[in-house]
Amino acid sequence: MTQRLQDIAASSIASWIPVAILAALPFIVGGSWTFTLGLCFANSIGVLAVSFLVRYGGEVSIGHTFFTALGAYAVGVLDTRFGLSLWASVPLALVLGVSLGIAFAWPSRNLHGIYLAVTTLALALAVPEMINNLDWITGGYEGLYVSTPLVPGVEMGLQRYYLGLAMLVAVAAAVARFRLSRQGMTLLLAKTHPAAADAFGTRRVWARIAVMGISGGIGALCGATLAFSGSTVSPGGFTFWQAIFLLVGSVVSFYGLSLFRVLIGGAFVTLVPQLLSASGAWIPVFYGLSLLGMILLGHYLPRIQKTLARRKGGA
Amino acid sequence: MTFWDTLLYDLFPLIWSGMITGCLYALGALGLVMIFKCSKVVNFSHGNVAGLTAFLVYGLSSGVLLSLSWGMAVIVALLCAVAIAFLIYAIISPLVFESDLTSTIATLGFGLIAQGVTLLLFGADIVALDLPIPRFAFSVFGLLVTGYDLTVLAVAIVTIGALFIVIDYTKLGIAFRAISENPFAAEVCGLNLRSVHLFAWVTAAILGVIGALLIVPTTFLSVTTVATFMLQAFAAAVIGGFASLPGSLVGGILIGVLMNLFTFYVSPEFSSTFLLGIILLALNIFPNGVLQRVGGSRV
Amino acid sequence: MDQLTNTLRGDGIALSFGGIKVLKGLDVEFRAGEITGLIGPNGAGKTSLFNCLTGAYRPQHGSITYAGTSLDGLPPAARASKGIVRSFQHVALCPDLSVRENVMIGVARNYSAGWASAFLPLSAGRKERQDMATAADRVLADLGLADSADLMPSELPPGTQRLVEIARAIVGKPSVLLLDEPAAGLNNSETRDLMKVLRKLASTDLVLVVVEHDMDLVMSICDRIYVLNFGEFVAVGTPEEVRGNEDVVRIYLGSDDDE
Repeated sequence: MTQRLQDIAASSIASWIPVAILAALPFIVGGSWTFTLGLCFANSIGVLAVSFLVRYGGEVSIGHTFFTALGAYAVGVLDTRFGLSLWASVPLALVLGVSLGIAFAWPSRNLHGIYLAVTTLALALAVPEMINNLDWITGGYEGLYVSTPLVPGVEMGLQRYYLGLAMLVAVAAAVARFRLSRQGMTLLLAKTHPAAADAFGTRRVWARIAVMGISGGIGALCGATLAFSGSTVSPGGFTFWQAIFLLVGSVVSFYGLSLFRVLIGGAFVTLVPQLLSASGAWIPVFYGLSLLGMILLGHYLPRIQKTLARRKGGA
Repeated sequence: MTFWDTLLYDLFPLIWSGMITGCLYALGALGLVMIFKCSKVVNFSHGNVAGLTAFLVYGLSSGVLLSLSWGMAVIVALLCAVAIAFLIYAIISPLVFESDLTSTIATLGFGLIAQGVTLLLFGADIVALDLPIPRFAFSVFGLLVTGYDLTVLAVAIVTIGALFIVIDYTKLGIAFRAISENPFAAEVCGLNLRSVHLFAWVTAAILGVIGALLIVPTTFLSVTTVATFMLQAFAAAVIGGFASLPGSLVGGILIGVLMNLFTFYVSPEFSSTFLLGIILLALNIFPNGVLQRVGGSRV
Repeated sequence: MDQLTNTLRGDGIALSFGGIKVLKGLDVEFRAGEITGLIGPNGAGKTSLFNCLTGAYRPQHGSITYAGTSLDGLPPAARASKGIVRSFQHVALCPDLSVRENVMIGVARNYSAGWASAFLPLSAGRKERQDMATAADRVLADLGLADSADLMPSELPPGTQRLVEIARAIVGKPSVLLLDEPAAGLNNSETRDLMKVLRKLASTDLVLVVVEHDMDLVMSICDRIYVLNFGEFVAVGTPEEVRGNEDVVRIYLGSDDDE
């Protein structure tokens, strides 16, 4: 079940084929699909943020809507109040995401596992409150409409799609590159053997802060992409349940960090509510069953594989 | 002089009602902590399952599903809660022995399913659940004490008292304490981990139903009120150290009182943010074993 | 060239957990250019002493100095930057990293390419990775592990994993090397290879301390031996002195009175 992180880092022509296909899609499928896929790319970045925290930090977050909301409102506010496009707001979103990831990491630096998860839960529940009560910035219930184009002259629908795709590819590539870096390797050791990493110069607190900062930054980029590709920013997109759905997407993709796996997670998070929108009550049921299903699959798969191997090889 | 009068006028009733609701948070927290102590799993489905059973009481007694008497509805709902606890534990138990984080996420899955089932059966409407609570009120030193207050206190004292008697004096209770202390050694001594886990899950389910039913009269019964109750029970468990049953009691009452004071003196709009602050503060100041001692780790 | 200047010294190190006295006021002097052995029955406190020397544990009493400067209060990461390196009793290799990458971690603290190089394909990051890989490959070749460089730790037998850990410990050219049971799990030929490596390592600049249970290895390569039992030194001296010491013999073989 553990995919070799090295394999993602290997850049070959093969990994660019799906990207090329996705780049050609808007000319094949209709406008509403283009819009949905744009959202899907954005959600994939969110799934990547959560999976990153799991793979490099060994921790689970059910509060990433804090960071996605941050990025989304950075874009929304700069757009509606100052008329600034993504060229200004994406860097701002990234800086905010990283800073607040670090800011959250410090008081929670000694929390692990369950305790940390519960704290992120509280974070997620606080987000809608803050959005609604800071409505002089956030526009409250009504939300914000993001309309400033990235590139003048090109049709907005296409811009929304390609920005989402470009952002996803860029972030996935950066995370793949990170695996090969010195910081990435030491973080991986710090996750599995913190005492050994400490003995070789990587302090535990530094490791925790670094991982949360990066995960927060990626989350903010997800939010920024959501705002632009989805064209609206409203509190409904950052509820506690959204945070859980991001985790579900992450689990469903087995915490993968590759472009392909992250897209599966993002598609799950985006398409399920769409397909089940007629009977909204089934959405949590479906998510819950998928979450359970994936976990149980991950648990029993090695056993099933062993039994199958025995049947094939043995008597 | 008037400043002190208004302080007493407001403060005492706030503290009193905070203590009452605090008893209910304590009930919720006790359930969470029991499960955590013996299996290291945080049961994220607690609130939603409790809410589902509260809705079942409504549904079974008001005619939506059946028209039973109130007492029968409660009994049937309790049986459902126990059945659900059995089901959840049956599916989760192999995971518990593998990884507590994985099983915790699995409980999230159950929570989602429970929420969905609630929505499917009862819709997203708010319902008013009428409980047969004696409606009277009297004054004690200027403090208004209602029938509801006394009912909650009575139920809480009886339930918690019974729980502590079971844990301190019965074989099952001793097994529970042994397993919470050192599961490996307990198993070596022949104790059955699974039965103790089951005991904890079932007890938690029952406590959750009682808490949910009793909190309903203070607010309407809807899917969101139960989630909020959940967060407050969590905060209570965290303050109590998440490893101490008496701590949950203290935590519950503290949370009840603090929330009331905050809502009144500061703002009702930021209650979740306030809880976040409390949780972060408590986890840093009273970690109760979460922090690693400098000499602690085995390398 | 005064060999005694690069000495790792501990004075009166006392460590207790709760009411249990793990180390009872130990005086140690580990000299550069020597291989020092630290032996004793299980639970004697050998790993705890290592933990005090590396900063993982803070002893209640006593002070630790290296080359004259005090190490007291310095956390493990800071001691690592002074060149104090250890291996672990239970193999602590990262299962997600290849063997080569695990060894590269041993020199990571000497490099400082920034965060931009971590995420973007810049030349600074690529050069850094190349340098670290070269250093790692050299050490792996020295230990005869060149063929395993691209494998994952889980694909290696435990003895080889232990050698990889030692590679990680030595790649950064440490000044103090503390090896905790390096021969555990190695068969006879692997142990002989290890002994060759350790002898090669011993140099005038290196303080090399080895905790071991394999008496043949200890007696054969160590210049001095400390024998620890219940947190106290029972004997200190050359292998011949220790072998002839009655108390040491009694600890390891028991005495007729123990019934």
